[in-house]
Amino acid sequence: MNRSEIETELLEWMQQTPWRPDPPRFERLALALFRFQYDSCEPYARFCRSLEKSPANVDRFDEIPAVPTGAFKEFDLCCFDLDATIQTFRTSGTSIDRRGRLHLDSLRLYEASLLSSLRETFLCELRGQQPLMRFLAPSKEEAPDSSLSHMFATLLAAEAGAGSGFDLRHGQLDLDSLDRARQAAGQGGKPILILGTSFAFVHFLDATAESGPDAWTLPEHSRVMETGGFKGLSREVPREVLRGELARRFGIPESSIVNQYGMTELGSQFYDSTRLDPAGPRRKLAPPWARVRIVDPATGHDLTPGEVGMVVIHDLANTGSIAAIQTADLGRAICNAEDETIGFDVLGRLEGAEERGCSIATDVMLAASLREPPR
Amino acid sequence: MTRLEIEWPDAMEERLRAARGRLEIAGEALRAMSLEARSNSTARVLASWTAPDSPWRRELVTAVAADSPFHENTVREGLDSALRAWKPDVLVTCVRRELSAVLQSDELVLSPFAWTAILAGGNIPMPTMLSVLLPLILGSPVLLRETSNDNTTAALLKRSLEAENETLARAFEHLAFKAEDPAFELMLEAPCIVATGSDETIRSLSSRIRPDQRFLAYGHRFSIGVLGALHRLDEETIQQAATGFALDVARWDQTGCLSPVVLYLVDSEPSARQFFAGAMSDALERISAQLPRGEITTAVAASQTTERTEARMRQAANDSAVPTMSFEGEDYTVVLEANAEPRPAPLHRFLRLMPVDSLEELTRALGPFRGQLSNVALAGFSPDEADALRLGLMAFGASRFTTPGRLQTPPVDWPHDGMPLLSPIARFVQSD
Repeated sequence: MNRSEIETELLEWMQQTPWRPDPPRFERLALALFRFQYDSCEPYARFCRSLEKSPANVDRFDEIPAVPTGAFKEFDLCCFDLDATIQTFRTSGTSIDRRGRLHLDSLRLYEASLLSSLRETFLCELRGQQPLMRFLAPSKEEAPDSSLSHMFATLLAAEAGAGSGFDLRHGQLDLDSLDRARQAAGQGGKPILILGTSFAFVHFLDATAESGPDAWTLPEHSRVMETGGFKGLSREVPREVLRGELARRFGIPESSIVNQYGMTELGSQFYDSTRLDPAGPRRKLAPPWARVRIVDPATGHDLTPGEVGMVVIHDLANTGSIAAIQTADLGRAICNAEDETIGFDVLGRLEGAEERGCSIATDVMLAASLREPPR
Repeated sequence: MTRLEIEWPDAMEERLRAARGRLEIAGEALRAMSLEARSNSTARVLASWTAPDSPWRRELVTAVAADSPFHENTVREGLDSALRAWKPDVLVTCVRRELSAVLQSDELVLSPFAWTAILAGGNIPMPTMLSVLLPLILGSPVLLRETSNDNTTAALLKRSLEAENETLARAFEHLAFKAEDPAFELMLEAPCIVATGSDETIRSLSSRIRPDQRFLAYGHRFSIGVLGALHRLDEETIQQAATGFALDVARWDQTGCLSPVVLYLVDSEPSARQFFAGAMSDALERISAQLPRGEITTAVAASQTTERTEARMRQAANDSAVPTMSFEGEDYTVVLEANAEPRPAPLHRFLRLMPVDSLEELTRALGPFRGQLSNVALAGFSPDEADALRLGLMAFGASRFTTPGRLQTPPVDWPHDGMPLLSPIARFVQSD
């Protein structure tokens, strides 16, 4: 299969609703994509050869070598002529902390993937209803290389109703604008969807801490999507605490607050299950064209459900870069009563930081030095 | 019959208040001792720990090995070497040096804080021990909040104080509780607070402390090694440096702020760098047989695997003349980088070797970490070059220069983070 054939099949798969998991199809496409990426991306091919892996000896998708996310800072990991790039997304960072980059020569698959996941796990019954949406993130014009801003812009264009827009401009939250939208939704008896970065929501909570108990109550069926870490841009708040505080401030059930796990290096994102399966355990759901493995960092072997390990993602939406990504995040697989894996959970990495002594890993230190002026 | 035990939500607050009450009484007796008597008595306690056959040290080795992730050999070697470097008479001399104005004149007297709160951090015993002894010398009773990583050092220290001097012992209390416990706020009422922890913790604490309180904080620091032109050094010198640095890395599994995380190779030819990286890897392999690495968490394993994989990818994909090279053992990693760009340090015996062309490039490479350097081990420099280096690195916070193999064993009077031992937690009154 060539890339075009792979993408055609993937696009057709992404348009199916509800999602239709098909492991044999995933396996076949993953191996075809590996063959294409091995042949098209020289740094990746060299890496695979150093591990003595090639399409000739890889028979299963979980044998495909995964590149660490940090490699996107080192190399232009793309399977096309760099001149054909139409969009580059960059990870956050500064000139000191080099930024990872994802080059794309087409947005068709990227946008199809993100819309499919949002529709399936977040919009759900509001799909096609053009609900009011407000975004607590910079617009695409303000942050042209942010994959999140692009995602929100794509969602805005495809699904949002009149009055939708961005309420974070030049780093400032526009609470008046957000409140006007909230009131308009309430008067029309329509839900409002608020999507943004976790740190923007923390700023929102801080800024509205003195508001009355119902001042920010949202209409029925409203929902919130938050994503990303804090990266020193706000106080650090554990995810479950943030969820609880947002639920109280907005007067909505916690199941209506959905976290997204995503990263610039990926074409697909993973959302909490609570809109789709409110009765089940909260976990992240992978679309059928992405597989998430939880592996033992020491051996690289898959762990049994419940065990904590490294998150490795095989995302077929990454046709133009590398599909197999090794993250530094920790996670565990979540099972149902029949012992079938039904999703995964991502765990924080800062556990125990408070008890650390004076020594610290330099990635944490570097992050600290980027936030503070030199002494 | 079932015995019902109820832990009231304010139980720790009550215990802390009781401890403070006892310290108030103990403080009077402590201050009744002369500075000289407190200093000499504390030095004798230190001697009971540093003696070759110290039973306290022996007991601490067993306890720390049982309760911490470190291997017993690593704990024993770490404690033996660090405490051997602490000379009780040096402590006494340091007291005399720092407090000479008090000792030699009636115009200046000490006005000890009513009590000193110590918020310990990390899981290496020595900083905790010293942080308790210093306020006692100054006449300030100590209340220590232990870390969850070390619940033995304080109790043993208390017993060793009891064996030497009841007055000193009564002036030291220790408790263990979580930061979320309301008792924590009571600790922050102390007129003098000494805290060790992450920058995040220090920031949070300093925002909760009144301006009239004394606050001494030890935040994030790291240590490095710097080697001069390797191609000009003979093989024996290179092997000695590698062996010394391997010991520095292995001690406490590279988790202290005195552990080197990077060795900078100044003005060395590529082949010499590769030779040194191999020697470093061999030395770490050898030392692992004597001092095996302790357990690591899944998070650390994930971080190390990620950094190893990235290094392998740079090694495989980079076709420059000076590629990255990764040397991996079962419980150590040495990555010879192609340049000195800042990269994460997962610790736990993960060492990066970074080439720099000149001392100027070294200071550029350290730029993002200005103020966070702790100790520096130098090797392979002429006296003039070493002087220039010291001068340059002081601006980055370096508070001690030493040789490979001695990074983790500073003398007892080492000015931690560039500060004198006693003055920052002392209060003086002048009468003229």
